[in-house]
Amino acid sequence: MNRRVYLDHNASTPVHPEVVAEMLPYFSDVYGNPSSVHGFGRDARAAVDAARDRVAAFLRVRPEELVFTSGGTESDNFGVKGLALARGSGHVITSRVEHHAVLRSAQALEAQGFTVTYLPVDQYGMVDPDDVRRALRPDTIAISIMHANSEVGTIQPVRAIGALARDAGVPFHVDAVQTFGKVEVDVHAMNIDALSFSSHKIYGPKGIAGLYIRRGTKMVSIQHGGEHERRRRAGTENVPGIVGLGKAVEIRARDMKAEAERVSALRDRMWEGIRARVPDVRLNGHPTERLPGTANVCYRNVESESIVLGLDLKGIAVSAGSACTAGSVEPSHVLVAMGVPLDWAMGAVRSSLGRSTTTEDVDFVVASVTEVVSRIRQAMPVGAA
Amino acid sequence: MRYSPTLVDHFLNPRNAGLMRDADGSGSDEYAGCGDLTRFYLKMRAGCLAEARFQAYGCGPTIAAASVATELVAGRAVEDLLVLKAQEIEDALDGLPEDRKHAAEVAAGAMRAAALDALRRRPGNREA
Repeated sequence: MNRRVYLDHNASTPVHPEVVAEMLPYFSDVYGNPSSVHGFGRDARAAVDAARDRVAAFLRVRPEELVFTSGGTESDNFGVKGLALARGSGHVITSRVEHHAVLRSAQALEAQGFTVTYLPVDQYGMVDPDDVRRALRPDTIAISIMHANSEVGTIQPVRAIGALARDAGVPFHVDAVQTFGKVEVDVHAMNIDALSFSSHKIYGPKGIAGLYIRRGTKMVSIQHGGEHERRRRAGTENVPGIVGLGKAVEIRARDMKAEAERVSALRDRMWEGIRARVPDVRLNGHPTERLPGTANVCYRNVESESIVLGLDLKGIAVSAGSACTAGSVEPSHVLVAMGVPLDWAMGAVRSSLGRSTTTEDVDFVVASVTEVVSRIRQAMPVGAA
Repeated sequence: MRYSPTLVDHFLNPRNAGLMRDADGSGSDEYAGCGDLTRFYLKMRAGCLAEARFQAYGCGPTIAAASVATELVAGRAVEDLLVLKAQEIEDALDGLPEDRKHAAEVAAGAMRAAALDALRRRPGNREA
């Protein structure tokens, strides 16, 4: 195996070398606790503040409206539970295609007596703002809709949903982990009150993320302890991580638009190549409202894991849309919600391209997919054998 | 790699894959947990297996287990195929991870079903 192609950027990304360089002094040189009053602590505090300013400038929000967390999952838990628990009881609106960090937070709220509406999506995985309008009740206390879906890449109409939320006076949380630093996120135009974002999807380090909380939004903490993050999230700040996130954001501000165009073109080239060579395939997700580098393709009557294994053996990293754990296969909850038939949904493979992806990579993947799927289908009891 | 080189080899180069139209016996088995499906077609000669072919839908281990089974049982008497154990197939693959044991079970179940079908269709046996 010589060539290695990483097409799983929606799962995680390599840390940008400039980010690594910026982080390094904060492991062994500037190691104080930002809460300490001495010089070591003040140096660390200055680094945290500077990074917060960078992220705030990127999001065009006030630095004090940002809370650093340990990851997208924590941010989503904080966003959903923080809004709901601050209101004691009531009704929450979310969708069936959210990340499990949101879905299971909503389920945890249900166990505590909240009621939750899980909105359906259309064939492209998109929530209809009219469904949000119809779901609104006098006791609705929070809405949580993702910006873009990690599996199929569909970008939700958050601007329209935000306008509805604002009119109804209901706080609006958006899981923007897959869009932050990839496409435009405007919390003002979109009327977003809480926004989850992460670092390791945009060439920053793992273990650091954040939640934007609009000033004046009533929230409760879900992690208790010290007075960190303006008493909203206890725990010593991950200083190297925060510095890395700040640098990653700065680089995204510079590179985001050009990269989005480049990876979109590569993604289209890949899909066109696959479609021309492999029978019985379909592209999932919205044709235009979608993440730049994401292609979720179903290979009918082939189990996705066998394709992932076949590509892995060629040095290509993609992810399966269905997960077989301990002999039980669960088709993706996103594809099920989109109404994708089971014989297609079981063969879903997600490729997510990124800054290192080249035309040669894409052409290699197309040739490899063609060969792997054809070989697996030769041994198949049904379909294109 | 969590799979043995033998398993990977059978996945990449499946032996005896595909339909057999004039089989003396065929049978399939499905793993309800994940929908994995394996089907064998057997050609018998003098009560022994002359040729086996398979079709499989499932993860890599399922395809590899079906492939290795066609080689494993070559030349065996049909009665022996009736009692084929999953462990034997797993051993032929040099092991399976705990969460992929079903690959061998489905292959063994399908082979036993195909053998039973061959036995029923054997000339002189009017059960079929």
